[in-house]
Amino acid sequence: MKTVEKEIGSVLAGTISSITQRSIFARMGSLATTAVHQLTPSDRAAVMQELESSLRLFARGNSMQLIASCARVLNPDGSGSAAAANGGGVLAPKRFPIEQEKDIATARLEAWSEAVRIGLSKFASVKVATAVSELARNIVFYAGKGTVELRSLQDERGVTGLQIVASDQGPGIPADRLDEIWSGTYKSPRGMGKGLMAVKKLVDDFQMDTRLGAGTVVTCVFRGER
Amino acid sequence: MEQELPIIQIRNCLLVSIQTELHDRLALDLQASLMERVRVVNARGVILDVSAVEVIDSYITRILNDIGKSVRFMGAECYIVGIRPAVAMTLIEMGVELDSVSTALNLDLALERLELLQ
Repeated sequence: MKTVEKEIGSVLAGTISSITQRSIFARMGSLATTAVHQLTPSDRAAVMQELESSLRLFARGNSMQLIASCARVLNPDGSGSAAAANGGGVLAPKRFPIEQEKDIATARLEAWSEAVRIGLSKFASVKVATAVSELARNIVFYAGKGTVELRSLQDERGVTGLQIVASDQGPGIPADRLDEIWSGTYKSPRGMGKGLMAVKKLVDDFQMDTRLGAGTVVTCVFRGER
Repeated sequence: MEQELPIIQIRNCLLVSIQTELHDRLALDLQASLMERVRVVNARGVILDVSAVEVIDSYITRILNDIGKSVRFMGAECYIVGIRPAVAMTLIEMGVELDSVSTALNLDLALERLELLQ
């Protein structure tokens, strides 16, 4: 049976000691001995959270790559057999609920691993992760909750980019606030007030639909050099 | 979970290695304890090692700038070391500034420069 312990163990083999690996799996409890294909989305998030915090400590230099590899192994819809089986057609979008600060880290990580998976360069992948971080943070800070959706865009010749859709049903952004944001004069109480502007500069396409009392949807696309 | 970032003293500098996700509470606690330690040990510099941080967004930048400002108010200099190339490129593209801190390639060079200030 392909348990979490076996699959992740094979990813981590040779990078961190088996003693450390055992302690990581011990902290996962019964999830470590669950078959990968039986994990629920929340199980998967719990496993990834444990891996993320542990690998950051124990595998400093290449922790992001290792975490991304683990995410791929745990996600049966990701790369490998499933993607090959549907002939490289349009992959189902991945949606992540954003409600608290730890969800920002999860979304950022998933975005990073998705960017690497579709072949964006290392720099472009960090940009993707940063943009998702900004958008997810805005959701947590200003709307309370929402979702981030990642979708690989493809044509007959292959993957052409990564689309990010961040949506919430929050208060929306008033027109005068928007003016301040786009002119760079907005001062946020918690951040720099430059998150949206930063995202707009990082991405290749940027669209925002915001309605007072109804919510905000930001849609952006990375095409990136490959 | 209550957590606190360890502050290490090297000669008259304070060193913090950032290995976890920074959030409001943690950042404010770090800022407060750094200012207190700067006062108690008469520190000349504070060095924040971000080499383990893979993504720095505008919020984290704000936190680093705030810590830099408060350390400067205490009369010490704040160095950020170990910014990854991809992170630096992203910050430039986003147009956010790390203007309340100094930067150095690594811990060694930051210590060297702080020594030169004697």
